[in-house]
Amino acid sequence: MKPIRRLAAPAFMALGLLAPALAALGLALSGFPAAAQPRDTLVLCQTLEPPILDPSGGAAAAIREVTYGNIFEGLVAYDRDGKVVPALAREWSTSADGLVWQFRLRPAQFHDGSPVTAADVKFSFERAVAPDSKNAQKWIFEPIAGIATPAPDLVEITLKSFTADFLEGLAMGDATVFSAATIGKAATEPVGTGPYRFVRWQRGDRLLLERHDGWWGAKPALKSVTFRFISDPQAQVSALLAGDCDAHTNLGAHEAVAQLRADPRLAVTIGRTEGETIVAINNAKVPFSDLRVRQAMAMAVDRRLVNEGAVSGLGTPIGSHFSPNHPAYLDLTAERPVDLAKARALLAAAGYPNGFATTLRLPPPAYARRSGEIVAAMLGQIGIRATIEPLEWPQWLERVFRNKDFDMTIVAHVEPLDVNIYARDNYYFGYQSPEVKQAYGLTKTARSEAERREAFRKIQRQITGDQVNLFLFMLPKITVARKGLTGLWPNWPVPANPLAELRWE
Amino acid sequence: MNPAWRHPSFGAGAVLMALVIGAALLSLVWTPHDPAAMRIMARLKPPSAEHWLGTDQFGRDIVSMVLVGARNALLVGLVAVGIGLVFGVALGMLAALYRGRFIDEAVMRALDFVFAFPAVLTAILILTWFGPGLVNAVIAIGIFNIPVFARQARAATLQVVAQDYIRAARLAGLSRPAVMIRHILPNITGLMIVQGSTQFAFAILAEASLSYLGIGTQPPNPSWGRMLNDAQTYLATAPHLAIVPGLAIAITVLAFNLLGDGLRDLLDPRMKER
Repeated sequence: MKPIRRLAAPAFMALGLLAPALAALGLALSGFPAAAQPRDTLVLCQTLEPPILDPSGGAAAAIREVTYGNIFEGLVAYDRDGKVVPALAREWSTSADGLVWQFRLRPAQFHDGSPVTAADVKFSFERAVAPDSKNAQKWIFEPIAGIATPAPDLVEITLKSFTADFLEGLAMGDATVFSAATIGKAATEPVGTGPYRFVRWQRGDRLLLERHDGWWGAKPALKSVTFRFISDPQAQVSALLAGDCDAHTNLGAHEAVAQLRADPRLAVTIGRTEGETIVAINNAKVPFSDLRVRQAMAMAVDRRLVNEGAVSGLGTPIGSHFSPNHPAYLDLTAERPVDLAKARALLAAAGYPNGFATTLRLPPPAYARRSGEIVAAMLGQIGIRATIEPLEWPQWLERVFRNKDFDMTIVAHVEPLDVNIYARDNYYFGYQSPEVKQAYGLTKTARSEAERREAFRKIQRQITGDQVNLFLFMLPKITVARKGLTGLWPNWPVPANPLAELRWE
Repeated sequence: MNPAWRHPSFGAGAVLMALVIGAALLSLVWTPHDPAAMRIMARLKPPSAEHWLGTDQFGRDIVSMVLVGARNALLVGLVAVGIGLVFGVALGMLAALYRGRFIDEAVMRALDFVFAFPAVLTAILILTWFGPGLVNAVIAIGIFNIPVFARQARAATLQVVAQDYIRAARLAGLSRPAVMIRHILPNITGLMIVQGSTQFAFAILAEASLSYLGIGTQPPNPSWGRMLNDAQTYLATAPHLAIVPGLAIAITVLAFNLLGDGLRDLLDPRMKER
């Protein structure tokens, strides 16, 4: 008997590695039961689970994907087109010098029944800039000199200096209005003012929201909504096919798009996030501090092919660090066309006729790992031998982002209008430019929208001219929903899924 | 016909192994395409006249990748088993020669300590610590082969040492190291080869597992385990991406296990007498 037993264990282990292959056959054969859909409930699946539910306590996009416009509201909000619209503030006005803002509150109540007053707004904004605040976007509140509450429904904010993007900041999830009475449990049992109230959160799995009938807006169609968190891209596809999810807000498995499109029960929408995916280059380090080296790299990397191979062609190629969703966008993708001969010549001129060896440190997301393999192969064509080093998020944040211990990395910057990172001192890719700093200052002080846009365009031209990084593509937003569900945002000007806009038809 | 070939396990194992070694050797001189060449616009193509087993998610030729992957797998097995064999046999014989003394206890207990940990799990730990990569993966797997060989070598050495001719050799004035190398080593070689072929299969499987988890062989170096990992996302649309490397791993592991089984029977003196 002994020989058989000896053989059996490794053979079974080998079968284990074959399991994905067998699963493929199973997947292809299994039928999909069509579940009868109650018309006023919804199971909405998303990739990441929020670490907490307080949008003023962390930068994670997953917090906003659940809470923005659902549990919590601010004075104003972004709509699906990225336009600022009224929320808790019915209307607002500014003084001629742009320093005094008056917000008139609409009659609204928190989920615990208490009314929303000017004092709640004052409390929330003052808390956001407090030294112990964990707010991820303190810049929104920093221009504020003082907040007055002349009437229970009137908030008067005075600014230290003119700030062009003040209202845009207030529309972000970080400028949520809380009540002082319930702020203590905002992270785990939030009490907000939105159309849906928090019911239950099963960590690691799902979160249940129910319609808040005391909401100020028109009555939403859906009575209760479950958010489910499924991080594995294949499991996301299976859950959609099995009917466990009515919709997925941003599918990770872009390679499954064709398969899902072919399913008559599902509707697939390809939109855009605000995620500029870039090959970030350590500009402070030799040989990357030489502009010719960075230009040569840009001429070797064909962003259209990277977009095809990394995200199945669903992203939007970009030529600078700026979103095509924004009116100030300039198309700079033709600025430095692929030209291997010229790239080699530039490298030679910079003193590297035979190229050089370098490392490419990649964070875990599939878009980064896949782009990395392609970019490394493309750089190899001009003699730049990039060794790929995969890192987990904590290591990436520590080594690459904080300690700037890297040559190249690939990451998507997902905040809206985050071109300001090129004006920062001491940011991880080590770029310094007085021109960009000056132009960025202009975007803050510009009195007209035209002037502000011109400043943004100047920044785009400057960072593309300096080829700070290699600009690849905007991360796509892949929305998959059962047919009949309407109202999901096709694009993400901010990561959000306002449930009040959804209904079954 | 040599009776060895009539042994069913050995025969089948040898044929399969010849296939794998042949693929690995072939990849040194020829592959249908450059295994690293990406043709992104021709990605995920099914098998065709140009790409016999189709292309992967970056448009690379799967036949070429599997061939080079065979070289990679054999190299991993060879080095990992080599590490285990050299250090394991040396330590095992050392322990046996000083049987019952401090050196024996120290060596064997230290090896028991290593043996007590699940190999792949600890390899993951080592790779997380020292960074992912093929070299670190092979060393980690190799380290876990050491106690396996050491135990076998010690037990076998103890048997041989008890033989009269060893005593005769010692009485004739041969030093301990000389006895070890001239008389004991040749006598335990057969057993070690059998163990080696089983461990070879384990090493290939372990490397595939580690690469599957993304911490073994790094791109662009083709590895069967990583091909499986990459294929996972395309199971529904391009199942051949998973089936090809999966079969390659299964065939190779089977080959070395069959070979080991056959060798064990063939090298067993009692079998010879029959």
